Amino acid sequence: MKPMIQTKTWMILFAALLALLIAAALLVSHRGTGKIANVYQDGVCIRSIDLSAVTEAYSFTVTDGKGHENLIEVAPGQIRVAEANCPDHVCVHTGWISDGLRPIVCLPARLSIQLEDTAQSETEGLDAVIG
Amino acid sequence: MKRFFLLVTVLCFLLAGCGFDAPSTVSGTSTEIVEEPSDTASVPESAQHQGELPASQPFDVRLFAMDTYMELRAYGDGAEDALQAVSSMLTELDQLLSVTDEGSEIYALNHGEGQPAAVSEQTYELIEDALALSRNLADALDMTIYPVSRAWGFTTGSYQIPSDSQLQALLPFVDDTQVVLNERDGTVRIPPSAELDLAAVAKGYAGDRAAEMMKQAGVRSALLNLGSSTIRTVGVKPDGSQWRIAIQDPQDSSGLAGVVTMGEGAMDTSGGYERFFTGADGETYWHILDPKTGYPAKHGLISVTVLSETSFLGDGLSTALFVMGLEEAVRYWRANGGFEFILIADDGSLYLSEGAAERFSPIGNYENAKMTVIKP
Repeated sequence: MKPMIQTKTWMILFAALLALLIAAALLVSHRGTGKIANVYQDGVCIRSIDLSAVTEAYSFTVTDGKGHENLIEVAPGQIRVAEANCPDHVCVHTGWISDGLRPIVCLPARLSIQLEDTAQSETEGLDAVIG
Repeated sequence: MKRFFLLVTVLCFLLAGCGFDAPSTVSGTSTEIVEEPSDTASVPESAQHQGELPASQPFDVRLFAMDTYMELRAYGDGAEDALQAVSSMLTELDQLLSVTDEGSEIYALNHGEGQPAAVSEQTYELIEDALALSRNLADALDMTIYPVSRAWGFTTGSYQIPSDSQLQALLPFVDDTQVVLNERDGTVRIPPSAELDLAAVAKGYAGDRAAEMMKQAGVRSALLNLGSSTIRTVGVKPDGSQWRIAIQDPQDSSGLAGVVTMGEGAMDTSGGYERFFTGADGETYWHILDPKTGYPAKHGLISVTVLSETSFLGDGLSTALFVMGLEEAVRYWRANGGFEFILIADDGSLYLSEGAAERFSPIGNYENAKMTVIKP
């Protein structure tokens, strides 16, 4: 009964995957708050960083193929655009972000960096920031 | 078996930022709809054990349109499709109203050498509404300020201080009462050398249309952030509570000044801190220009928030009240009504209309700020 074997194999595969995921979930939850920063290019997520797992600062450059460059700096619990070649430098002036309320946005490069919702005492229960 | 798969899915969302799996880019579009992992994580324990997803899942869309970054969040059945439709609408609207896009209707009008030109019904109506609002706000708002804004470099980000003679040469063309609408043939005429720019109300208008589309699609709860200074809500939060929106501290970009609770409606903020530069003379020059003088409007206010039913009104009003300054803003409110306001003066004190005061609580640096409640 070939189909039966296939179903069984799939079941085992899924069980293994589930076990793996649970293990990974436990690992993540034990590691800290899991403060995830997502980097978006034109609204599409290109990179995810767990800021709570960062122990040493590092940086990387995002380019868009149209000449825009943003140097992103990652540090424990926070992230910023350290340098950019856009004319207004709004992204650089935004400085470090460490909560999910305010994104970093570079309009010319169509780049945005946003933290997933985090329940921090100061920003708890807020749905948005206007300004 | 179905529940088992759901559980796996839930766990995947718990774990996955975007880095864990390749971004599911839909080619040709600039938006991506993602299920928010965070809210999946806040599912009550019991529900998670059963492997059930929450009744009201949030869906997010992020997009660049109208020279700004928008974040749209909607909950419940139909939210995903409605968001996709709304983001298409926003992109189309952007193409119609852009001042710089050579294919836009506004561009055609501005380069029509003073000849009347036909526009779509939608654009016609928006121009009509924008001019009516502008007329009502007298000198505080003008839809033809664009050439002056460009002289300062606020349209490109390459900031500069224009010479006084340069500004004086541009000011005669800043007068949107000279825009001629012809209802019979649906044409609009912009005088030569003048340029129409609906930016002061476009995001607000877009917010109202987006909210309308959401409601028609059956969405009962949505938070539409149209570029951080225009927020339009649909209904209340899925749990039945009010939205809580914080106002940024105008003197500290990482701080907050207060929190406003609101149901369905619009909240719009204008502040000099949004787009500004420091000149070689050490002065701060910001993007909110006084149509009378061509210079940045410095009349004692550093942040203006308007609460209103529509974001079209709130968007235009917040800019206009900023230009008016405290006394004139209060006078305008008493004469016209129909909205509430929260003003922050350059000395750090707060002025709120009675209706706004009931919904506002100061926080952070503003916890002990002087607060004046203004009665109608």
